[in-house]
Amino acid sequence: MDLPDRLPMWSLGLSCRVRWEAHSMSNVGSNGSNRLLPRRQMLANGIETDAISGNICKHYHAALFADHAALEDIPLCAACAVGDGRRAMALVGLAGYQHLTIDRILQECALCDVHGFLIPAKGAASDGSTEARQRRSKHSLFEWGFALGLPDRQSETTQLFTRMGNSNDEGQMLMKMPTRSAEYAMVVRYKSIGIGVDTNSWRVVVSDHEQRCRRNRVGLTALRDQILSPVGALTSTMLPHLSGLEGALSVQTRVGLAPILSALDPSFIDQLGAMSTGDCQVFVFRSPGEFATLMNQLISVSYPCLPAPRCLP
Amino acid sequence: MSTSTTLLTLRGTSTICLTDTNTKVWIAAHYHFPGVYSCRVPMSSMTSASALPAPSPGTVRLALVRIGTEQFGEEDTRDELFPIIRAMRIAIRPPQRVAFTVQRLRMYKSGTNKNHDHLEESIGCREFAHAEGPMTVYIEVPTRHQVTFHNLLVAIGYWGQASSLTQCLAVEHRAPVLSECAMPLREISGSQALRPFITSLVTDFRDPDIEWAQILPDPLEETKGGLQIQLYVWPMVIIEQHGGGRVLMHHSIS
Repeated sequence: MDLPDRLPMWSLGLSCRVRWEAHSMSNVGSNGSNRLLPRRQMLANGIETDAISGNICKHYHAALFADHAALEDIPLCAACAVGDGRRAMALVGLAGYQHLTIDRILQECALCDVHGFLIPAKGAASDGSTEARQRRSKHSLFEWGFALGLPDRQSETTQLFTRMGNSNDEGQMLMKMPTRSAEYAMVVRYKSIGIGVDTNSWRVVVSDHEQRCRRNRVGLTALRDQILSPVGALTSTMLPHLSGLEGALSVQTRVGLAPILSALDPSFIDQLGAMSTGDCQVFVFRSPGEFATLMNQLISVSYPCLPAPRCLP
Repeated sequence: MSTSTTLLTLRGTSTICLTDTNTKVWIAAHYHFPGVYSCRVPMSSMTSASALPAPSPGTVRLALVRIGTEQFGEEDTRDELFPIIRAMRIAIRPPQRVAFTVQRLRMYKSGTNKNHDHLEESIGCREFAHAEGPMTVYIEVPTRHQVTFHNLLVAIGYWGQASSLTQCLAVEHRAPVLSECAMPLREISGSQALRPFITSLVTDFRDPDIEWAQILPDPLEETKGGLQIQLYVWPMVIIEQHGGGRVLMHHSIS
């Protein structure tokens, strides 16, 4: 599907079914030292299904974003440049960052801008050794839901692995780890309108259109790469095979949210198509190749809208 | 009494017609949960949180404040919309079925040690819900503001935290059937038949005198505790429960 030469984007919704084979990307921990436990979620129909947490997807999207931002020479703060997950919080107290403002954070770091951060408020020390600190935060512009396995399209095999103990005395140890294959229903929402904006007050901080466009491109590029080449837990030895991808991208071109629907419902693509309006364009893809083509077009033609608070009627 | 007519176009569906009057009107917004969600029961531990079957009235009011600020700016939201939001009646009809699973998550807590900020990592538990069927939020607003609140309801994208994604499917002009909605325990008649309905604490701030700063305090000032905690009864009963979680089904309170 061809996109227009220029596409304003207020928000983006991705609803898709993605099939990953033989992976263990999201786990809840281990039972002792000999069994890895996969993540499970019970569905409303009472069936327990395989799941991948949104946290891990968001975490790796942020890492990909930082890589692409560095490549494109887009500014990152000292914390994000070295992969510190605290982001702007890690700068507090460092020399040169005594009075860190939200304007400075958003201007100087694209990752804090797009993935959000939190500097909690703190009272002054009773002995006067430290000053009170105001809370500063920004919501993430990328929102991930859990990926949920379609109950009739999932399976799990328990594999027996050997590993070495902490010392030679412990010898060889056995460990059971699951490999899972499933078709997952996945949703992602991206509010590009928030790029360079203090989302607590919806005040524009980064007004440079080109800088906002570059951050938008990097966010979309990282999203494309993450879906096509997934990363998560244990991918160093259980890299998933991507064997299917279909769904729809919805782009809201004016104020409003791009719709997202659960892909557990087999009619989700048709329903999203029915939600298409003059302000909301829905683009369907039926394979990884079509998704890549669509995302490449979107990366090249889309630009983030600028918030413009309206007057109450 | 004015008699102008307003047309509200719903995304991809139908067009509805609402008549403007000086009275109040109930608006019903139907929401789909595209994934799992987790609206924490107030006072449950941050590191071992139970979840509600649907957002509380307080969460709905806060979402309207958040979207109002996004669309109309902080000043207009505080001066024009907040007086309506804090006083409006809200009813919430939970989804037809809701399943809960306790998820173990990696959590981070910011702490201070000898005046040095650091991040502590630990494991926490939190209930996540999956729903079947739409949830409906009913709000009663002055008729002259119905279009504004229609737009705000449509724009709500999550409840409470960004991992609890939601999608508005339609907005219509309809009053709630209260027996199908969550309600405060004190409003339930003593003559109603007892059933094992789900009860929980929920937050709200329905008070025409409550101030903006009590709900959204200045970061440097102390929170004045504007949120009220009430005991609610949900029109839901447990139909399945085992180690993997529990499933609730909607059942009218009457």
